Amino acid sequence: MKKSSRSRSPRLSSYFLFDRSKNMSGSRWKFGLAALAILSAPIASAQEALDADEMAALCHGGGSICVSAKIPAARTTQAVQSWMSPDVGAAWAAGYKGKGATITVVDDFSSSSRFSGNFGVGVQYQRHGEWTREEASMIAPSATIKSKDFSTSSAVRLARGLNVLNLSYGMYATQGYNVSQIGWSAEEASIISYAGKGSAVVSKAAGNDSVAVGGVTGGRQDYLDLALIGKASAIFVGALATNGTTSTPAQLAWYSNYAGSDPLVQSHFLVVGVEGDKTGLYGTSFAAPIISGYAAVIGSKFTKATPTQITNDLLNTARTDTLVNYNASVYGKGEASLSRALAPVSIR
Amino acid sequence: MRERSGNRGGSRTTALLLSACLGTSPATAQDITTSLVDIHQGSPLSDRARSLGDGGYELQNGSWVSFNQWYHTNWLDLHVDLLTQLTENTGILWGFGTGEKGEKYSVEPSLKLGFLTQTHPTPKSTLSFSLTSTIGGNLTEKPCVANYGDLGIYSVNCRLAATDMAPEETLKYLVNAKPESMHLWLNYRVTF
Repeated sequence: MKKSSRSRSPRLSSYFLFDRSKNMSGSRWKFGLAALAILSAPIASAQEALDADEMAALCHGGGSICVSAKIPAARTTQAVQSWMSPDVGAAWAAGYKGKGATITVVDDFSSSSRFSGNFGVGVQYQRHGEWTREEASMIAPSATIKSKDFSTSSAVRLARGLNVLNLSYGMYATQGYNVSQIGWSAEEASIISYAGKGSAVVSKAAGNDSVAVGGVTGGRQDYLDLALIGKASAIFVGALATNGTTSTPAQLAWYSNYAGSDPLVQSHFLVVGVEGDKTGLYGTSFAAPIISGYAAVIGSKFTKATPTQITNDLLNTARTDTLVNYNASVYGKGEASLSRALAPVSIR
Repeated sequence: MRERSGNRGGSRTTALLLSACLGTSPATAQDITTSLVDIHQGSPLSDRARSLGDGGYELQNGSWVSFNQWYHTNWLDLHVDLLTQLTENTGILWGFGTGEKGEKYSVEPSLKLGFLTQTHPTPKSTLSFSLTSTIGGNLTEKPCVANYGDLGIYSVNCRLAATDMAPEETLKYLVNAKPESMHLWLNYRVTF
């Protein structure tokens, strides 16, 4: 998908960040293991599967209530799934589910490209944006979830209350440009502006090229990454192979981009478990929605907190003792910990 | 610290003591006696304060905060009940509680005042009636000050700072309880 570009500006292409492909040339999307892995999953037929909107329109509420009206497809199954961090269940038990926050998922909701996966609610066949939206809504089931198709290129509008933007895609162009040379569409310009002003928590998938954030891969760079470096309320999200614990520390997923040597990236880089062996879904595309959900959950507790404060809370409470050979250049601030983000620094 | 339930004289024990005091110490106007009826440590509110100390949570840096540190006391509320006998069959019940204090709660000192009277429907039976009232003795839980870093410093319910609700909401759940303010006691005893 080509994004808008202005004269004398490099042409940008957007890519989903759900998996790593070594054969990027000539390919518009980064497909790969995510789609392959799920082939063994028990689906009847990919061709027979309904898309999420159609399924929702037919039956809602576990299939027991069927209506004819079109229902937004965001699924809000409120159950702790095996792929989630145990922190999520603890937060839910305490009543935090993201109420009052709005997560806007900027992603693909209109293309014909779909793939299979299973977030613990049965195998589904969905577009990339439908997957990331579903994941965020499962982490923060009481949050308002909005979908913004990134092909529209129009500015992202913010809602009342806390805003979280989920970006599980990158904007790639030939390496070597300065970010200031990029002619951003209104969509990305608004996102970058929100991150700089601290108007919204911006959760950005780090990328799946096993390079440092903003690094060169195949002669190209993710300029959206580069544009968000140093922005107050931006968080780059890398993927761990599993959720880490002190007894079983996790390591960076083989495909995930890492923080690198730039202190500005390190200080805004988090990692979370992306347990693709359980969902059939791999990639930092599925790391970012977890942080988006966490931000919404924190916002439901600290209702007066600004996006920048919530960003800092997530960054400052990340754990390093759940990671294999913690190093800031790999893991940035560490593995996000929702329970610690909700806890006090001190109490007396 | 002594075990609470074992230290509190049951009302039955107290009742028997009361009856015994009146029955064995006939008084005249010139001979007013005061007897120790009961002495015990702890109370239902004392127990409740102790139960608040169960549990804990992790702070942001992972260090464990145990509630016990806030709801622990070195001195359990001591109650002394006395009976001042006015006549052979009437007396004034009175007493006091010392109260107790932990870092995040307090049980106020209390005063107890009432009367006891008895009659003998038959030579071998006794009907006793007493009414006592307690002033003070309230259990009050104190808030904590929680520092959430960039998210601010809040006055919170210590127990709910990390596990429930928005900080300001937690204050609604601070314990503020009163002791039993009035105690009515009726006893019929037959000796055979």
